[in-house]
Amino acid sequence: MAAEGKTAGSPMGGVWTGPAAPARSLTRRGGDAGLFRVVVIGLLAVAVLTPVGLIVYQSFLSAPFFSKSAVLSLEAYEYVFTDPSFYEALGTTALIAFGMVAVAVPLGGGLAFLLTRTDIGGKRLLEILVLVPMFISSVVLAFGYTVSVGPAGFMSLFVRDILGFVPWNLYSLPGIIAIAGLSHVPNVYLYLSAAMRNLPSDLEEAARTAGASVWRVSLDVTLPMVLPAIVFAAALNLLLGFEMFGIPLVLGDPNGILVLTTYTYKLTTLFGVPTYQLMAAVAMVLILITLPLVYVQRRLLRHSRRFAALGGKGARTTNLKLGRKGQAIAFAVIGLWLFVSVALPIAGIVLRAFVNAWGEGVDLFAQLTTANFHRLLEVPSLVRGIVNTVLISAVGGALAVGIYLLIGLAGHRNRGVSNTILDYLVLLPRALPGLVIGLAFFWVFLFIPFLTPLRPTLASLFIAYVVVGLSYGLRLLQGTLLQVSPELEESARTTGATIGRTWWDVVIPIVRPGLAGAWALIMIIFLREYATGVYLMSAGTEVIGSLMVSLLQTGAMDMIAALAFISILLTAIGLTLALRLGARIHD
Amino acid sequence: MVIHLKHTRRCVLAALLLAGAASPALAQDVPAGYPADYADVIAAARKEGAVSIYTSTDQAQAQPFLDAFTKRFPGIKIEYNDLGTNGAYNRVISEAAAGQVGADVVWSSAMDYQMSLAKEGHAGAYKSPEAKNVPDWASFKDTLYATSVEPIGIIYNTKALPEGKVPKTRADLIKFLQDNKTELKGKIASFDPEKSGSGFLHHTNDVRQTKTFWDLAKAFGAIGGRTYSSSGAMKETVVSGENVLAFNIIGSYGLQWAKESPNLGVAFGTDYTPAFSRLALITAKAPHPNAAKLLLDFMLSQEGQNALAKGGMPSVRTDTDQGFNAKTLNERVGGNLQPIKLDEGLLEYLNPQKRVQFFREWKASLSGS
Repeated sequence: MAAEGKTAGSPMGGVWTGPAAPARSLTRRGGDAGLFRVVVIGLLAVAVLTPVGLIVYQSFLSAPFFSKSAVLSLEAYEYVFTDPSFYEALGTTALIAFGMVAVAVPLGGGLAFLLTRTDIGGKRLLEILVLVPMFISSVVLAFGYTVSVGPAGFMSLFVRDILGFVPWNLYSLPGIIAIAGLSHVPNVYLYLSAAMRNLPSDLEEAARTAGASVWRVSLDVTLPMVLPAIVFAAALNLLLGFEMFGIPLVLGDPNGILVLTTYTYKLTTLFGVPTYQLMAAVAMVLILITLPLVYVQRRLLRHSRRFAALGGKGARTTNLKLGRKGQAIAFAVIGLWLFVSVALPIAGIVLRAFVNAWGEGVDLFAQLTTANFHRLLEVPSLVRGIVNTVLISAVGGALAVGIYLLIGLAGHRNRGVSNTILDYLVLLPRALPGLVIGLAFFWVFLFIPFLTPLRPTLASLFIAYVVVGLSYGLRLLQGTLLQVSPELEESARTTGATIGRTWWDVVIPIVRPGLAGAWALIMIIFLREYATGVYLMSAGTEVIGSLMVSLLQTGAMDMIAALAFISILLTAIGLTLALRLGARIHD
Repeated sequence: MVIHLKHTRRCVLAALLLAGAASPALAQDVPAGYPADYADVIAAARKEGAVSIYTSTDQAQAQPFLDAFTKRFPGIKIEYNDLGTNGAYNRVISEAAAGQVGADVVWSSAMDYQMSLAKEGHAGAYKSPEAKNVPDWASFKDTLYATSVEPIGIIYNTKALPEGKVPKTRADLIKFLQDNKTELKGKIASFDPEKSGSGFLHHTNDVRQTKTFWDLAKAFGAIGGRTYSSSGAMKETVVSGENVLAFNIIGSYGLQWAKESPNLGVAFGTDYTPAFSRLALITAKAPHPNAAKLLLDFMLSQEGQNALAKGGMPSVRTDTDQGFNAKTLNERVGGNLQPIKLDEGLLEYLNPQKRVQFFREWKASLSGS
């Protein structure tokens, strides 16, 4: 996982160590790469802009675009902007997004500091554990929490027996913020640890020698140096907060707490007829909110490159000594966080998967059963869902790595206009909730004649997944590609190799081990995906995540619990695989 | 010569036998009471080889029925799409618009949506030979067929609420909520009509059939009642003790759950127990029209109804012995079972103005104003 942290965060924290000028000249001379770039970026543009364009178009119509009565109009916006529920959802979304950042950034930053800059023990294990919540689908997480810390959860009942009351309410705004914040800590950690790992330690050491405490050093020396990375991580999490779906879907439901994504989900019921134009209008609002965040991220990236001098290659990093007391405190903090964000939800799921009932006055031992799994195995669609999920994660993940590699190469050492276009293309799907993208792809496969045969096959889901996972996957690949020292490419070029040849003979062989790690991680990302398939899947193309969302509608909790358990099991397998492959990168 | 003749005769016999075996439908396949030419439908359905269902019913629940169908008509593959009430409806009209009809049979508990599909010409007319075996109210103009009758009722936590205290009538329920404000604060659940098609149907049906729905809604709002998008989610909270009671839930599930969960009781209004039906229709441009007919007929047949009842969906017929049927169910709920009528009245709350008005009143009741 160590290798993972490095690759995933690389474009960020001053990893770009090569001098900019030769890279630029490489681009200028690269005639044969130009065509490749145009083709790849062009194809990507089609894949991204078709669904996004359809949503934009739909938002300006008075009815679903396929309806005969649809005319150009602003009705959808009028409705949305005069609906009090919309403003309520918008306010709640903003509150949750900012609240989540306020929880996740300090915690993630603290973890990153402890794990990269200090001599805390058991680092290798901690580095893995810290990332676990990121790999579990948020529907699964939220579901696990209801069983452990919900109003009648086992943890709540336990605490109530001691205190006489339950000091928290999971189904409240603070509850949702806390859960969302804790589960996004790994996203922050990933970025900040990458940035911190590359900081030279001489400044910190100097401060330590001058008598400053570890706490002081972290605040006065390390913090200012990684500030751009922190802002970047905050912006990213804000983005994630705005399009969060699973947690508010499960935890906001009972008390009617709505966010923008669940509001769009609800709009369809509200009218009794498909109101895709309203969904599209809300999606546009989301784009308008998130695009500036994307812009900020780009600006920060550019700045971070300017500061590249900070992270020279030979930078020596020595870890700060925590001391015995420091170690104890650090372990206590990390242990508590792990307990709350990993142990509690997973315990909840495992428990629920093996019982038929739980809660107040229920003897859990009397309820122990494997019936949930027997029943699961009797339902063909659920079994198929498991098989499909494995297929799309393992095989689809590998194909996706190939696609992302091609896109990564198109953007590699490319600083022209096409790269700006590429950046936005990549981040555009990120700015939209998976649910809406899934719906747009459903339309694409339904209405574009030569694509219709793909709809009942896993290929439709795969294409949507590739687009949804684009920003994450590409970041992984770009990070790996950037690790190839530019000198190697330059020497190949100087000896007369074309850019294509350079990539084929120099770059790809070097990054090959990195690709294996990327494959394992994309596999996990595809495994946890749930929103994209909600509208897109049909008989034969079911996947676990979306099945859980659709089962939530009828409330088949036994089946959801069993599926959640299997999903966690698969994630654990994927993670083990990732570690195996990642370890190879290390050796 | 003789040998030769014999040989020819044997050939003819063999050919006849072969033809008999290869012929996809034999007369004995045709269920009793069906027209003789039904063998053609079976043969054509076998040739189609598949039938696709869009539905809101969990596959786990439908499995006994699906297995029975596959056993009865091997070789016809069932493509089962559990899309939820909204999902099924939206996908049918989207696909119709794209000219890519994927569903043969739409089978949904959202009676209003189903009626709307029929009204807008998405359903094909088909007179099922089983129609004479189901009550008159259970079919609509040879397009919509009720396949179940499922009571709407109450589930409660038996530890928190002894059986004697469970409200028995609508008036009791309202009074129960009003009289126990502090004890029940935040501990009563019902459907969220904004999120659930079933909830919307149950609540609006109450508005149409009773005079007291808004009193109930106000009492529910006054105690900070909580709303959910599914019966299953409510059951989970009632069993765990998070909620004391949930009303207007799918009582046929409740009957099943009460058997297997500790602490869970189920009750029905003795003065009035509404019941909804899962409606089935064959799409107008079904890709497998014959297999669709076969499935629909089997759904209404005694065998099919028994299989559905086994999955917890009480039969509309009165001659089934698995689970509940229309007659035994009426006895179980106290004699006042009132199935939601299968008529155009179902469309009333699909009218946008009526809909908006309902939601406005619902929200106002819930916020206590």
